[in-house]
Amino acid sequence: MGAIAVLTNDLQYDLVNKNEERIRAVAEATPSFSSFLHEMRKRGHRVFHLQLINLPDDPNAELYEGRLPSQKGTKGAEILPEFLDESDVIVEKNKDSGFYETELHERLQAIGADTVLVTGMQGQICVQTTAADAFFRGYNVWVPADCVVSAREKDKVRALDWLDGYCATVADSAEILRILDAEGSLPRKVVKTP
Amino acid sequence: MAVTPKTDADERVVLDHGTGAGLSRELLEFAFGVLGEVSVGELEDSASILLDSPHVAITTDSFVVDPPFFGNGDIGKIAVCGTVNDLTVVGAEPRYLTLAMILEAGLPMARLRRVLESVRDTAIEAGVSIVAGDTKVVRPGEADGLYLNTTGVGVLHRPPMRMSHVRPGDRIVLSGPIGNHTVHLLSIREGLGFETRVLSDCAPLNGMVNALFRAVDTATVRSMRDVTRGGLSGVLHEYAAALGHTLEIEEAALPIEFETRMAMDMLGINPIHAANEGCLCLFVAPDAADAVVRALRSHPYGTKAVTVGTVTGVPEPAVELVSADGRRARLEELRGAELPRLC
Repeated sequence: MGAIAVLTNDLQYDLVNKNEERIRAVAEATPSFSSFLHEMRKRGHRVFHLQLINLPDDPNAELYEGRLPSQKGTKGAEILPEFLDESDVIVEKNKDSGFYETELHERLQAIGADTVLVTGMQGQICVQTTAADAFFRGYNVWVPADCVVSAREKDKVRALDWLDGYCATVADSAEILRILDAEGSLPRKVVKTP
Repeated sequence: MAVTPKTDADERVVLDHGTGAGLSRELLEFAFGVLGEVSVGELEDSASILLDSPHVAITTDSFVVDPPFFGNGDIGKIAVCGTVNDLTVVGAEPRYLTLAMILEAGLPMARLRRVLESVRDTAIEAGVSIVAGDTKVVRPGEADGLYLNTTGVGVLHRPPMRMSHVRPGDRIVLSGPIGNHTVHLLSIREGLGFETRVLSDCAPLNGMVNALFRAVDTATVRSMRDVTRGGLSGVLHEYAAALGHTLEIEEAALPIEFETRMAMDMLGINPIHAANEGCLCLFVAPDAADAVVRALRSHPYGTKAVTVGTVTGVPEPAVELVSADGRRARLEELRGAELPRLC
């Protein structure tokens, strides 16, 4: 039985504070989200924070009113403390998927992980792409629905539907903890690909 | 001419490469050196070529694809394929290309070499020669690395295929899956995670069409288009408008790979609108459709060829999608796709 890792996406000052909708959505999710991370750590599972670092020469990086947010070494790029623990691992990424030209896959392999729980912001971009990438790499992908954040609820609903339909098992974090405690692992969803 | 291509990895294109003086000549010699056997450049102001048919086809296209290098191709490959395929779909045999390059000062020569090597390799595969070329250099920031233009000349040994040859009842055949090129490029741009699972379909298709015409009566293939910008939807609407008839497409028959559909669903893009670089849409006589599909499938670029629809006799220029349960829906033509620089 392989290890289980929790992946968070983009829980960083600049990205969360982009607008009121994001601030509100993260605030609403924080109690159960941070509690879930805490419970997973307690059970011995590692948490990997995917930290978006925008490169100054990336023509596709999103600007905030002309400013490039979340640049390396800035306060805006830091992970919010309510989600961070000193035992966690921070993996820098420069694009939407946490696997794209990063060391994430190697880090996960190093701890023997075969199951990833993909969380964070935004559901319809980084969570979806990181989950898809994990699926293609052979990971058993789970998504705790209450640990996925989108500025707009309809985007989150659509993202969760997509994840459930294509590549992941979607469940509430409490249900995931219950299955883990009862069975010691998370069963892999059978996804039929032509 | 014996030329030793420069290999210094630190060397870059400078403005003086475009001033027409000594460095310009060196740049041309560099290009000819890399292009090697496919280049017949003689450094005259015009190329003179011999053709064995009085009927020629000419086409031109410009290429600004972003990123210029992707998983299984680059701007050089697309620049050859795009023009070769445009000649091919009118029934011409591609023979000659020109190659014009707009280079941004600062472009590493090593990147230019990679592009030219790709032009060379693709031209060899397509059996075309580069007979003329041009380079211009612009200041940093005035272009994005490099842009290319190719003009192609082909010969016609039969009357050119035209949209007007298509008849009601003709079947609509696709030579391969749709949407892959778009997913591949968007995935590289944004790091979406699909870039290694879904590759571009970019390919020169004249070899496949030659094989097709050896296998079936050429008259049964009424007309062809390469499905590029605007996607299959753009091609279908173009034909519907030209013919004045409704085209009927069986939605379930559309060749869309699992990962492509997955990515398109995520991005909110209908694959039928997505750009491709190695897919043909053929309009064929109804009793020849199966033979055409078989012939296409016998070629490496056509292994997933499939019949997807029919030209109806309904005298209304429209495209209708028919779902597996028989429901019909009108496919509207997009005014714009907001997906720039895919070729």
